[in-house]
Amino acid sequence: MNTNKASKTVGDQLAGFERQISQERVDAYAEASGDHNPIHLDESYATTTQFGTRIAHGMLSLALVTEMLATSFPNTWHSGGKLKVRFTAPVFPGETVVTYGEITSIAETENGLIATCNIGCKKPDGTDAVAGRATVPLE
Amino acid sequence: MVEPLISTATVGHIFGPYDVTIPSDRAHAYATAVGGEESPDYGDSLAPILIVAAALTKLIEDLGLYAGGLQTIHAGQEVSWSRRVKIGEQVDATGKLAANSIRRGNHFATVAVSYTDSSGAEIGTSSTTIIVSGEVSS
Repeated sequence: MNTNKASKTVGDQLAGFERQISQERVDAYAEASGDHNPIHLDESYATTTQFGTRIAHGMLSLALVTEMLATSFPNTWHSGGKLKVRFTAPVFPGETVVTYGEITSIAETENGLIATCNIGCKKPDGTDAVAGRATVPLE
Repeated sequence: MVEPLISTATVGHIFGPYDVTIPSDRAHAYATAVGGEESPDYGDSLAPILIVAAALTKLIEDLGLYAGGLQTIHAGQEVSWSRRVKIGEQVDATGKLAANSIRRGNHFATVAVSYTDSSGAEIGTSSTTIIVSGEVSS
């Protein structure tokens, strides 16, 4: 049953969650994505970079945001969803991030109802690591 | 030192096609990396963002951005996806350099990527913007 159309309204909060980004998660993400850049994996190398320590893949933070979208729009996110984000701050292993999202508008289009959402992922100090917008069909 | 491609490539440069088929071991690694109690059940399907990430890795390699001394920032990402993809299903990614400029000594490059299935049908698109500072020849 498609519950999206009936249950979503402007102002709804998406199913955000917390996740600690451990180095083990970063290592696993490197295996999944194939991105073995030492800035993510090699502490001695990372100390020579602008960050001074290892950082998580930006795409890992974005993956968490898309988990939230897939949970909030289980019928349609993977078949018609779009997003546009900026990576605004690095996430360091050990930090706990929080994904968030809110439906800001719902529009009737030639392709049906489309929800627009502000989305992102915040660091422990409240700054955005990832921020942007997604559009998702509601039917 | 070999010049990284980002310093010489012109708009319209084609990357790939890359085979970005995701086997089960990488899908499992992805679940380990991002998963939690509230994670959605993908069944035998993939999170499309993993396919995008796999293509991005190959793009970064081809752009020569893993070279020592370069400081690369993944500044922006766009993704659209039209259908579910199963684990192990063949997907190819073809990139096109959409922009490549130098501002205040930094390279700004945008690569647009099209994802196609085994029939050649487009099943997703992405656009990645990268900023590179450091010793990039130009």
